Order: sequence, then structure tokens, then C-alpha cells
Amino acid sequence: MPPRPPENSSAGPVAPEPARRSTLSRRGFLTAGGVAAGVGVSVAALDLPFFSVAGAAQDPMACRAADVSASDARMVISNWTGYIDPRNKPGSTLADFTSSTGIEVEYNVDVNDNAEFYAKVKNQLGSCDPIDRDLIVLTDWMAARMIGLGWVQPLERSAVPNLHRNLIPDLQGKAWDPDETFHAPWQSGLTGIAYNAAEVDEVGSFTELLTREDLKGRITLLTEMYDTMGFMLKVVGADPGDFTSTQWEDAMDRLRQVIADGQLRSFAGNNYLQDLSAGNILACEAWSGDVLQAQLENPDIRFVAPEEGLSLWSDNMLVPNQATHQDNAERWIDYYYDPEVAARLAAWVNYICPVQGAQEAMEQVDPSLVDNPLIFPDAELLRTTWDFKALDDREQSQYEREWADVTTG
Amino acid sequence: MSVEAPAPPRTPGGGRADRPARRSRRPRGSVTGYLLLAPAGIFLLAFFVVPFYSLVATSLFDPSGSDFRGYEMTYAWGNYVDVVRDYWGPLLRAMAYGAAATAACLVLGYVLAYAIAFKAGRWKNLMLVLVIAPFFTSFLIRTLSWKLILADDGFVVNTLQVLQLLGDDGRLLATPFAVIAGLTYNFLPFMVLPLYASLDKLDPRLVEASSDLYANPVAGFFKVTWPLSLPGVVSGTLLTFIPATGDYINAELLGSTNNRVIGNVIQSQFTDANNYPVAAALSVLLSVLIVVMVLVYVRRAGTEELL
Amino acid sequence: MSRLAEQEVAGDALGAPASGEEGPYDGLRIRALTKSFGSYTAVRSLDLDIPRGSFFALLGPSGCGKTTTLRMVAGLEQPTSGTITLAGEDITRTKPYRRPVNTVFQSYALFPHLDVAENVAFGLKRRKVKDVAAQVEAMLALVELETQASKKPAQLSGGQQQRVALARALINRPEVLLLDEPLGALDLKLRRSMQIEVKRIQTEVGLTFVHVTHDQEEAMTMADTVAVMNGGVVEQMGAPSELYENPRSTFVANFLGQSNLIEGTVRRRDADLVTVDMHGVTVSVPAHRVHTDGDRGWVGIRPEKVLIGEVGAELDAPGNTVPGGVITDVSFVGVSTQYLVRMPWGQELQVFAQNTGRQRMFAHGEQVELSWRPEYAFLLDASQDVAAGADRVVG
Repeated sequence: MPPRPPENSSAGPVAPEPARRSTLSRRGFLTAGGVAAGVGVSVAALDLPFFSVAGAAQDPMACRAADVSASDARMVISNWTGYIDPRNKPGSTLADFTSSTGIEVEYNVDVNDNAEFYAKVKNQLGSCDPIDRDLIVLTDWMAARMIGLGWVQPLERSAVPNLHRNLIPDLQGKAWDPDETFHAPWQSGLTGIAYNAAEVDEVGSFTELLTREDLKGRITLLTEMYDTMGFMLKVVGADPGDFTSTQWEDAMDRLRQVIADGQLRSFAGNNYLQDLSAGNILACEAWSGDVLQAQLENPDIRFVAPEEGLSLWSDNMLVPNQATHQDNAERWIDYYYDPEVAARLAAWVNYICPVQGAQEAMEQVDPSLVDNPLIFPDAELLRTTWDFKALDDREQSQYEREWADVTTG
Repeated sequence: MSVEAPAPPRTPGGGRADRPARRSRRPRGSVTGYLLLAPAGIFLLAFFVVPFYSLVATSLFDPSGSDFRGYEMTYAWGNYVDVVRDYWGPLLRAMAYGAAATAACLVLGYVLAYAIAFKAGRWKNLMLVLVIAPFFTSFLIRTLSWKLILADDGFVVNTLQVLQLLGDDGRLLATPFAVIAGLTYNFLPFMVLPLYASLDKLDPRLVEASSDLYANPVAGFFKVTWPLSLPGVVSGTLLTFIPATGDYINAELLGSTNNRVIGNVIQSQFTDANNYPVAAALSVLLSVLIVVMVLVYVRRAGTEELL
Repeated sequence: MSRLAEQEVAGDALGAPASGEEGPYDGLRIRALTKSFGSYTAVRSLDLDIPRGSFFALLGPSGCGKTTTLRMVAGLEQPTSGTITLAGEDITRTKPYRRPVNTVFQSYALFPHLDVAENVAFGLKRRKVKDVAAQVEAMLALVELETQASKKPAQLSGGQQQRVALARALINRPEVLLLDEPLGALDLKLRRSMQIEVKRIQTEVGLTFVHVTHDQEEAMTMADTVAVMNGGVVEQMGAPSELYENPRSTFVANFLGQSNLIEGTVRRRDADLVTVDMHGVTVSVPAHRVHTDGDRGWVGIRPEKVLIGEVGAELDAPGNTVPGGVITDVSFVGVSTQYLVRMPWGQELQVFAQNTGRQRMFAHGEQVELSWRPEYAFLLDASQDVAAGADRVVG
């Protein structure tokens, strides 16, 4: 789900735009001259603090800290909840990492939402200040935005050989970082449809989800624009990977129509599977890993690859600017791209494993999962997946604002 | 004015004898007064004036800016026109839900506060603790629990369906009713406590006096109890209406896509769309609207001394 | 109190309630009224007849049941048993707002959110009476508050508030106006003038006033008839002078003014005179002032009725002379001198001597003789507590 930074399709660091007329550097208190100039001059001339905010783009080359990994065997990670095997147990992947490398890991589960995390770090990264993290995990489109803003450090190719050797081909070559210079997928997932088999017949396509009378008012869609709008574009016959603005408007109108018809109960970011399990909704747009976990409690919950196809996405490890333990972070990335480690992790988190060779290694870890298509999708399934077209900054702003307007009525 | 008030020692330019005590007293008093005001003033400056100034400034930025390109101050007053045009729906909805929840809180809260003040006897303190007990858990958890209570297959919906008060396809969750119920529940203590404070001060002999003077219980309530509890009613409704109108959690968790309120718009414009000028303009607009409504309301209620 | 001394004993005009013949009665009639709060009985089978147009006082110490009785008449308290009838109509269970009865509350209970005129108009408006404004104006004139009509109660003095409370109740022209310690919150001087004021208004409007108070002086000043209550029952009822001059119980003797009560043994009962031996001194008491059938009793005499003189002096009190007193305390209070005189049997008697100038003052330790006219003495039942009602707070 890659929005592309403007003027820079090769996703390299983006130089900040030239400073505007009134920038941070010119913030200041009212001066005597300002008062004198005030007569007959617009108030803008007063140049008060907070007036105008410069762009937040940075140059990662100019915005890096000295690496202290060699002398300080530590690193700090921010990840989503439930995204790693129990880490305080001996024999966990994290414990093994620490015992084999000697690196102490401070593992935070403080990512709940891409936009929220972005809002949290925006002020620091936007002004080249450290956020005290060596590795953060964000979804494709947010990773693309941060890379585009120049907030992410490039990984040293030679330090992460496993990444370049073992990343599955379907996740390679993203428009926003074609050769994995800045990101390494942590786990991947599919976006499709889930339904409650105890209540309704199978919901085989997105079009069905949006039109079937028996589902009226009993479905939810995801709050992630790239997921949901990808499907909407498919529904109106467009290709999410390459669409025109007219097609985008068609897809938006279709969505507005769905809302106006009362087909949709709400947009959901989390808890949607609880609603599905509790019978409040009958079907929904869903993430594969969530469905696998929900099935453990309620076998009636089913995941469907809709006729329109599936969206394949990843949550990606990124080294933010001013990280002081990049070497250690790179060792972590390389460690988790070891197929055996990846298999152990995948056996626990039930998301799609981005590491080639992990399926074979899974024979030793948990043979029952080897053929699970939601962990190791076969080529046929992966062929139906699609990717969202890269958006430039203006498109991104425009689409996200339209999206926000639709979802908040 | 006292003539013989002691003059401060050593006023510049003269002894105490040749100055009227009245004048020489003033500077000292006012300096002390300002010093006492200083902590509150600094607090207000740091946590209200500066952020609000920043918010107003942001609301006038060119809305075509982005984090990538930055935001330029263009005095885009049109932002206000735009947000009113684009978001009057959620704005009105927020006011309507806030008003409905406030009305529900007033009815429920009045009965509850009345019962605690006059009928609870030795259970009074326990009941007051119970009123605020929900605050011991998080706002989010409390609201999520309402999802369970009002679930489509839950006890409440089933009961209402059995009683034929709700159609077989009827539901409560994801309706305005659920949002208003959630708001009512969450802000009820803000209504009950000021009402209780007012009613508890009410002399029950006044009610007896009204009954002695030919007022039946209904007339007695509206002619004596109600007017005397008005300060509590006014502060309770303000304390309920203001946060209920700005709240978006209840609409988010209990409402449907068609029940989004202005808080959802602000939140989503701010964090999802990064449309800071619009989010700021909406915030300023909401603040101003609420302040105006409060002023009109308080004036009409005849309790300016509250402000 | 002495100004009552020479009054004739009032007849039994109002009388004790005559139970049995319950014909139509145009006043307030209370029969067997009882009120219990849990195990505590506040009012015990009370019977009262209050004639229309009278000023009636219920007098007693706090906790005697007088306020509870008043509240039952107002309808603010439900009787446990018994009946209340007003002008022949049973109002025992009538709601307070349907009774033609109004109350002036102890703390006035004025409505703080209404101005004086609105307070006064309250009752009329509830009854949808026409011409409220004119009536309010007239009533405010009666209590001399015309100029305060638009003030809030909090802006008024205590005495003004009291008059508003009175006006607020009076304007309704109730069958019975109840006054619950209405002057208790006022200072002494204001209370005296308000007593006269209320009495004046009662005379002017001619309504039935029932006044509850613990102040015996207030009750005697204002009321035509006083009922002395104690422990939930009426001890004695009658005109103030009758109660004072001829108390029937030690409680009344002590609660209304002060009394010397001396133990005695009945020697002889004649048709109109009873002779009592009092520690060896024989005194006589008129038969209608004897309130015991027993052999023993308390001989009572008010301190101002006792004459004091030097040993052997001739006193204007044939028959009842008690020798052998010694002065133990002298208090000069201007209009009179109050002596404490120790008697040979150890009791100290009080004597109030008018400073008429016809007699010299006695000094501490002097030997004196006491005497009194037989018609002033009374005889009470020996089984009664000699100190009952004596510990009240005067004033």
C-alpha cells in the first residue's frame, strides 16, 4: 500500500524544500521593528510564532546519530501487540537472540495504529530529533510515507544478508523501496472477507458483501484506506495498482452509496472480530491473522479469498533517524530472516511469514502449520493478490481527506 | 472608605502623615492581589492561551499543505466556511446527541440526586461513592462494556424483542440510541454530583411550607424544589453538555457510520488525514459555539453569578 | 408575674374536653391523638378543644410533644391513632395542601428565591385566587412591610422575616393559624414587641391561632387559653391566670413561674377548707385549691405571695404563719428583693418582697417569720415529683 513521495520515485532520501518565507528559524517574539511595520501592513508581517510550519521532510544522511552498538549492547524496539512469541520465556526467539548476540532488547508494544504512531513521532522526526527507538514496525503505506519523508535510515546491505537472500519474491520490489534499502517486512497478511458460518451462507465476493440483502446493516469495513479502497476500486472494475482519478471518484461514490443504503454498520479498526463472533455483524472485511486467531475460539468464523482478489500487505521493520543502535537493529533483522527462527515466530503469531525456507523449517516446529495457506500462501493464492498504486504527496493528501470525510460522515 | 487605615511605612516622597491613608494603601493591596493571581495566570497562559493561539493560527493555514510540504499561513478564513459547509451534519449531530444525553442525564440524575439527598438516610455516602464508582475503571472499558450490554443477541435486545418493543430485526447497537445511552451513562456523575450538592442544601422545611400553603407535590416541586436546585441544574447541564458534545468515543464504539459526530471528524482529520487546518478550524468553531451557547444559556437561566 | 397575682381565678370557660357528646363543634377538636416514632411516644392520647377565634397556646419544654401535635394538625405528620376535626369535618388524613390550616414555621421557612410579595402571594396563587395583588398589598400593610415588597427574604431583618412568615400564612384566612415557636429566633426586645404585634393582628383578623412555645411568659402574654404539655399529655389547660394561680400539678407549678413546695400532712378536710400540718406548723388551703385526695401533699405558695417580717411582727396573714426562718441569701433586683430563707426543717424557701418602701430590707443571717394568706396556697399530690418542670430555661 505504497504512497509514493513526490518528485522522487526511487524512494531515496528527500532533500527538504527550501525554507519558506517564514520558517521556524525566523520564529521570534514581536520586535520593535515589527510593531513599526505593523501600520498598513498585513498582520502576517508580524511573523508571530506558530505562523507557518515548514515541511517535515529530512535528509537521513544528514540526520543520523553516531552508532554506539559496539560499546552498548542494547536496542529498543516498538512493535504491535501480540506480534512475537512470549518473549520472557527461555527458548523464545527473543531470548535466543539475546543469548547468542549478547544484545539486550527493550521490546515495547506501543504501536496500536499507524496514524496514531505517526502523530506521536511526527514532531521529533520532522525536526531531526531522536525518538529513542532503534527499530519500529509500521504497515506498508506508513513505511512508505516515512521513507518518503526521509525519516528512515538505509540498512547496510552486507549487514542483512538473510533479508536479501530469503525475502519471498511476492514482497520484493515495492515501488517505494524496490531493493529493500529501508525496510524489512516483519510479518505479512492478507485482507479478505470473514463471515460467521453459523449465521449466513458464504460471502464469496466483495460485491456480495456490499449488496446482499441478508447482510444489510450487519457488515463492517476496515478503517485502513488502502485496504478498503483497493476493494472498492476492484468493485467498480478498476485496478488498485493503476487507476485514474475518475475511477477513484467512482469507487468513492460507490462507497458513499453503500453507506447511504445502510448496508454498512461501521468502519472498524479493531474489535471487529468480536462483533462478528458475538453476532452483532455477520460478515466483514478482515485481516487473515486476526481470523486465524479468532477461529481458535469460534470455529464458525471463516476467511474467504474474495473473487476480486486479496490485498497482500506487510508490517515493516524500519530504523528511524537518530537511532543509536543501528548495527544491533540490523543483527536483529538478519536473525529473524533465518528460516528456522522465522518458522518459530510464524508458528506463534499466525501471520504470513515473509521468509523463504521457513515453510521447510516449519516441519520441525509444528508440522500442522506447514500447509496452512494463511501462513504459507501457495502461488495460486498469491497470484490473486494486488497492491495499491504509489501515490504522490498531493494525491495522498487528497485521497486521505476524502477517505476521512466518507468514514466520518 | 476608612480614613484611619495604616499607611505603609516609607512610601517614597513623604512620610505617612501627609498622605491620605486611602491612597497609600492601594499599591500594596493590588501588588499582593496580582501576585496571588500569578500562578493561575501563568497556568492559563501556558495551558490555555498559548495552545488556543496555536490552534487558531493552525486553523488559518493554507489547507493544501501537508507534512511533507509544510503549512503556510495564508489567513485562510475560508477554512471556516469550508468546515461549516462540509461538516454541519456531524456538528449538528454532536449538538443533538449532547443535548439528548444532557436531557436524559438531567431526568435520571435529578431522580437519583433527589433520592440520595432526601431518601437515602445513612446510605447517603455509600450511594455517592457508587455514583462515582464507574470512574474507577477506564472510560474506554466502560464504553466497550455497553457494546456487550446492547449487543444484537444480548439480554437487552432480546428482552425488548420479546416485549415487542423492538422488531425482530431491530437493534440498539450502532444506532443513535446506543450513542446517547453511552453518553448518558458516561456523563451521569457530572450531572448527579452538582445536583446533589444543590438538593442537599435545600431545606426540607421549605417543601413542607409549600405543602402547607396549598401546593400539591407537583406544584411544590416546580415552585420550590426545582427553582432552588437551579444552580445545580445549570452547572450539571454545563458539565454534561460540554464534554458530551465533544466526545467521540461513544459514537466511535457504539454508533454506526451514520452516527459520527464532530469529535470523530476532528480526530480523523487530525490523525488520519493530517489535515491540521481543517481539524483546527473545526476545534475552534466547536469551542466558540459552545462558549456562545453557554453564555446564552446561563443568561437565560439567570445565574450569571455562576460564571 | 406578680401582675397576675391579684387576678381572680378564671372560670372553666373553655373547660376540659367533654368526651362522649361529640356534637358539631365549630373549632378545632382533637380526640385521642397519639403519635409514636418507633418505641417512643411523642403524643399520648391527647384530647383538646380549641374554640373558633381563640388564641390558644401549647406550652411545654422541648420534647413534650407540642410541636408534633402542631405538625399533625398541619398535616405534616400522620397520627398513629386518634382524630382531628375542624369545624365538624374530619381532617385527620387530609393532605396538608387541602387543609384550611396554615403554619408560621419556627425558622420561618421563607422561600429564598421569591421576593416578599411573591412569598406572601404563594398560597393564594396555588388556590388560583383572583385579585392576588390587592390582597398581598393589604396584607403587607397589616404587617407594615409595604416598602419591602420586592426584597428577597435574605435582605430582611429577623423581625421583618417573621412578619413575612406571618403574612404569608395569614393571607390565606385559614380556619386555624399554627405558630411554631415563631418568635424563638428573635432577641428579647424584638420578641416582646412582636408578641404584642401578633396579638394585635389576631384580634384584628379574628382567626383561631394555635401557638406552640416553650416560653411560659410568651404563652401567658399572648394566649387566651394555655395548655401545658409534658411527656406527650396535657397537664393542665385554662386561662393563663388560672394556670398560674391554681396549678394542679407540681410540673405546672414549677414550669409556670416559680413555686415553694413544702411537704405536709392533711389533718382535716372541711367543706371549704383543708387543714395541713407542715413540719409542725398548721396551715389551711381552700378546698377548691386542693388537688389531692391523699393524706399527704405538697403545700404550694408562690414566692411573691409570701410575706416576710421580723420575729413577732404582726403580719396581714391570719392563720398561716411559719416562724423560725433565717435569711441565707439576699438579691436586690430593683422592683423587688428576693430572699432565700432557711426553714427549721432545712428547706430553703423563696420570697419576693415588693420594694414598696413600707418595709426595711433584711440582711443575711437575720431571723425572720414568713406568712401568707390561705387563699393563695394550693395543695398538690404527694406522689408527684417536687422538682418536675423546675429545670426549664427561663425566658
